[in-house]
Amino acid sequence: MWRKGSSEGSDRFEYLQTLVTEFQDTDSDEAKEQVLANLANFAYDPKNMEHLRELQVADLFLDMLTEDNDNFVEFGIGGLCNLSMDPECRRVILESRGISLVTNCLSSRREETVLSAITTLMNLAAPSSRSQVADPAVLQCMLRFSLSESPRLRGLAAVFLQDCCTAEQAARAERQMVEGRQTAVGIPLPEN
Amino acid sequence: MAAPVNNRSDCWAVPDVYKHHEQQKICISRPKYRDGRKDKAVKVYTINLESCYLMVQGVPAIGVMTELIQRCALYGPVEEYRPLDEYPAEEFTEVYLVKFQKLTSARAAKRHMDEKSFYGGVLHVCYVPEYETVEDTRLKLQDRRRYVIRTVQNKERKQEEAVNKETTSSNTATTSETVIPRHDKTSDNDNTEKTSNISHYLDFPLLPLPPQEYDYYWHKNYHGTVPIEDKMGTLHNAVIETKQQQGHSSSSSQTSSDRDTEHRLTPSQSSAVVRFVPRTTHLENRKPKMEDAAEHSATDVTRNNEPLIGPKLPEPPKLNMEDESLNRTVSLIRNTMKQVESFPGLKPVEKKLKPRRRI
Repeated sequence: MWRKGSSEGSDRFEYLQTLVTEFQDTDSDEAKEQVLANLANFAYDPKNMEHLRELQVADLFLDMLTEDNDNFVEFGIGGLCNLSMDPECRRVILESRGISLVTNCLSSRREETVLSAITTLMNLAAPSSRSQVADPAVLQCMLRFSLSESPRLRGLAAVFLQDCCTAEQAARAERQMVEGRQTAVGIPLPEN
Repeated sequence: MAAPVNNRSDCWAVPDVYKHHEQQKICISRPKYRDGRKDKAVKVYTINLESCYLMVQGVPAIGVMTELIQRCALYGPVEEYRPLDEYPAEEFTEVYLVKFQKLTSARAAKRHMDEKSFYGGVLHVCYVPEYETVEDTRLKLQDRRRYVIRTVQNKERKQEEAVNKETTSSNTATTSETVIPRHDKTSDNDNTEKTSNISHYLDFPLLPLPPQEYDYYWHKNYHGTVPIEDKMGTLHNAVIETKQQQGHSSSSSQTSSDRDTEHRLTPSQSSAVVRFVPRTTHLENRKPKMEDAAEHSATDVTRNNEPLIGPKLPEPPKLNMEDESLNRTVSLIRNTMKQVESFPGLKPVEKKLKPRRRI
């Protein structure tokens, strides 16, 4: 990837703008995947947050979550996972009703997608949005993940259950699962 | 993917071969404008993929574990390490698990050691977050959030400072005046770091500002002793004025009330701004000004006692203090001084100057 010097903010902005333009204009899925991955990786560096906000890249990533292409979804949710570390980007994602779109990614067959979705949900769990994030269906999902064979999934789900909901909420979700009153039906565990 | 033999997630469990350990195919179809210096696969890195645990494959099986760990330690402290004998390895190579104290060290080690030669072999280095404990994962996420927030805030602060610099570099009064309310506005932000930055900024006089603005800030923010230049021109308490000393006619109006009253300016100097005046200049000025100074300060008896340095000044005219006892005292002192001066071989009194500390 062409790595620009971070000293010239305007150059960096122009380059990111070029990437977004290519993504919107190209018909090639391969090129879209490459550009999407580029943007998601740029979102990992907090120095680019402002530029990415200006270019509305969070909305671009959210749009990818409903695509059929698994790579698009994986790179899109990866980008959101990176962006959502920034409070301002977090606000943008919440305003765009991002919680429901991210929650849907929990049912992906790809482990990386699920892991990114769990981390993004944890980042989005501000006091105002916690009730939505700690939805009973989501909690049941996390409980199942905490029993997964994958150590990464187990660990991340455990952190979610400890940090993003109360012990009562987790216990209630567990009871509901055991009693068979699952509101999140048939969410398969991802393949490794 | 191989099923795990057990469900333990500590680093002593039998390792599994996961997809993220494998090197992906390098992308060769990138257009030139976004083709990097190094060919890489199409992959997105998130905090979940990174870890302070690294796995190093391709280490030649010639007993170089110590050298490997020493090389890893170049990038930061290593907490734990062990060979992963159970992990599938190429013939004549070994695999090691290395845990760094910090994620940043692991990141640097991966970047610099991956695909590099080592004692005749080529290393393949990858993150192995599956070895993290729940606590490791939680701390990793918390550190990452803190780092992002801190970096974003630092960047915003630097941008603000850059904007403030441009604002204050102008010499106009209006520009400087607008700086003040702007500071007040920004200081209302929730961001305490920003606020502390503003207050830090206001603790120092803005340079180079015209004297009135300088004075404003000086009095607004500097509540300690205002430095003054004493009668001798000694600079131990000089008012430091740097650049705005010439020709500001408007400054004459503000030398009177705003300045500390101990700062004595002769009438001819009062029209000038407060200047950093070297001692000798004052001595030169004092000669013709002695008459005026004597008239101005009626009660300043100590003036006549000030030690004389330099050429002998003309005798001051007789001063009528309008009080008999005072007049008597003045003439007594004057006579004493004459006697002292007339004594042969007496060196002029030199004021002992404290040795100046040069910083």
